[in-house]
Amino acid sequence: MKIVVAFKVVPDDQDIQVSSDRSLDFSKAHQIVSTYDLNALEAAAQLAEATGGSTVGMTAGPAAIDDSKLKKNVLARGIDELVMTADDACANMDAHATAEALASLAGKIGDYDVIVSGDGSADNYAQQVDVQLAAKLGIPFVSGVTKITPEGDTLIVERTLEDVIETVEVPLPAVVSVTPDVALPRIPGMKDILAAGKKPMDVAAADGAYESVIEVLACKAPEQADRKLEIFEASEDGAIQKFAAAIKAAL
Amino acid sequence: MKALVLAERSDAARSLCAGARTIADEVVFVAIGSVDVPAGIADKVAHIALPESAVFDDAAETVISVFDAEAPGVVFVEPTRHLLAIAGKLAAHCGTATITDVLAFEDGAAKSLYFGGVGERTLKVEGTAIYTVSVDAFGEAAPSGANATEEISWVAPACPLKLVSSKPIEKSGVDLFKAEAVVAAGRGFAEESDLDLARELCDKIGGGLGCSRPLTEGVDWLPSEVYIGVSGLMLTPKVYIAAGISGQMQHMVGCNRAQTIFAINKDKNAAIFKQCDYGIVGDIKDVLPALNAAL
Repeated sequence: MKIVVAFKVVPDDQDIQVSSDRSLDFSKAHQIVSTYDLNALEAAAQLAEATGGSTVGMTAGPAAIDDSKLKKNVLARGIDELVMTADDACANMDAHATAEALASLAGKIGDYDVIVSGDGSADNYAQQVDVQLAAKLGIPFVSGVTKITPEGDTLIVERTLEDVIETVEVPLPAVVSVTPDVALPRIPGMKDILAAGKKPMDVAAADGAYESVIEVLACKAPEQADRKLEIFEASEDGAIQKFAAAIKAAL
Repeated sequence: MKALVLAERSDAARSLCAGARTIADEVVFVAIGSVDVPAGIADKVAHIALPESAVFDDAAETVISVFDAEAPGVVFVEPTRHLLAIAGKLAAHCGTATITDVLAFEDGAAKSLYFGGVGERTLKVEGTAIYTVSVDAFGEAAPSGANATEEISWVAPACPLKLVSSKPIEKSGVDLFKAEAVVAAGRGFAEESDLDLARELCDKIGGGLGCSRPLTEGVDWLPSEVYIGVSGLMLTPKVYIAAGISGQMQHMVGCNRAQTIFAINKDKNAAIFKQCDYGIVGDIKDVLPALNAAL
């Protein structure tokens, strides 16, 4: 089975600075694989192992995502090959533009049986790229997947929804969106990282204009709610009683 | 302007239709499958019956046929997984992108979280906008309409999914959305048995028990449906007690709209102490038994 896995590279949210005018500063942030996409990479690697198949990672983003440490980190996680569009024309794309960029990469990769994607990206968390990608490619889409079992020409997947667990038969090729519970990401060892540097990587500029339709009018840190910030030491006399009284008063 | 509303649950159907009414002259509610449609919420109810073994998401093609026939100016969608898939297919059909998890509307633009709450963005699209909005985004508006119902014929997708089975998830106790008090347990709980201290606190204040991600992913001490934070529950209780939780942004976004936030943590430098109303510095194993005794 040939498995493509889509992932997003985002600035590490731990490194985002909030300026005094509440604007966000990303200049010190490292480029990392969006957290839940690590689970998607792992699910793809496990599915390839189970079916004796192969895996190709794909992503599109600004030129800064062409980062050697990042590429090795992806390829050290059971991913055989990497295809990437790294171009500043692909910065800050919305779901419409990202799906177009990924559809073009999927076309370049070709012959895939399944495209795995993560639950949502750390920045937008819109959960819309994978379904738009499936629509553009004209193939089925299934989301919320917590278990994947290959069966003949299809996949049997378990989707964990808000109130029910659905078992669904998915004809292939298809886009399968997995939740973080599907698989725990591996921690790559030194050997994996060294081997990753020798795996095929295809990094290219954008071969089309991927147009975003969502206009960002403003982006600021939210105003913090005014909290009382009354902090007690547990060992202080009467601290527990004051704390308990505050809980009762607030109920 | 005409608005199309998609919702799976009746409380969302009511509140989204009410919100739609504040900006649209005509409201059309799309009822898929066995959704319970409250009386008097829309001018028209377009009902789509699901064929046997069809997956809910595969109603997308039929929803697109309703969209094309009605030509609405705006679409409001309840953010469930089924409906997010339908919204995405509809957006692809329209050549647009869904604006998701709208907190509020201001002058025709939508406010939505960025990086799970590190930022807030104001977003806008040209042409027909598709928004996912939560039940409380529109406040207290009241719905109206005669609910004139029309049966819509099924448009089969080219490669349908097949529903093998659907089993209800056994919910563990209190519905945290409706709870007035929530106790959230975090990494400060070193052993699973310590959770009984948090459960006792819940009993004392009539609250529900939730957690931060470490307790549901990896250790599996609590079911993932009670995880609070980015991609989990976003709660607005009267009282929120964060026990053994450091206060990382990924968790706080799920509770920072609570009325009063209480924090218990043994690290006096924990980020939670800068975002709470009342904090107590101490180990949960000492603080919780004393607190339970005092309540």
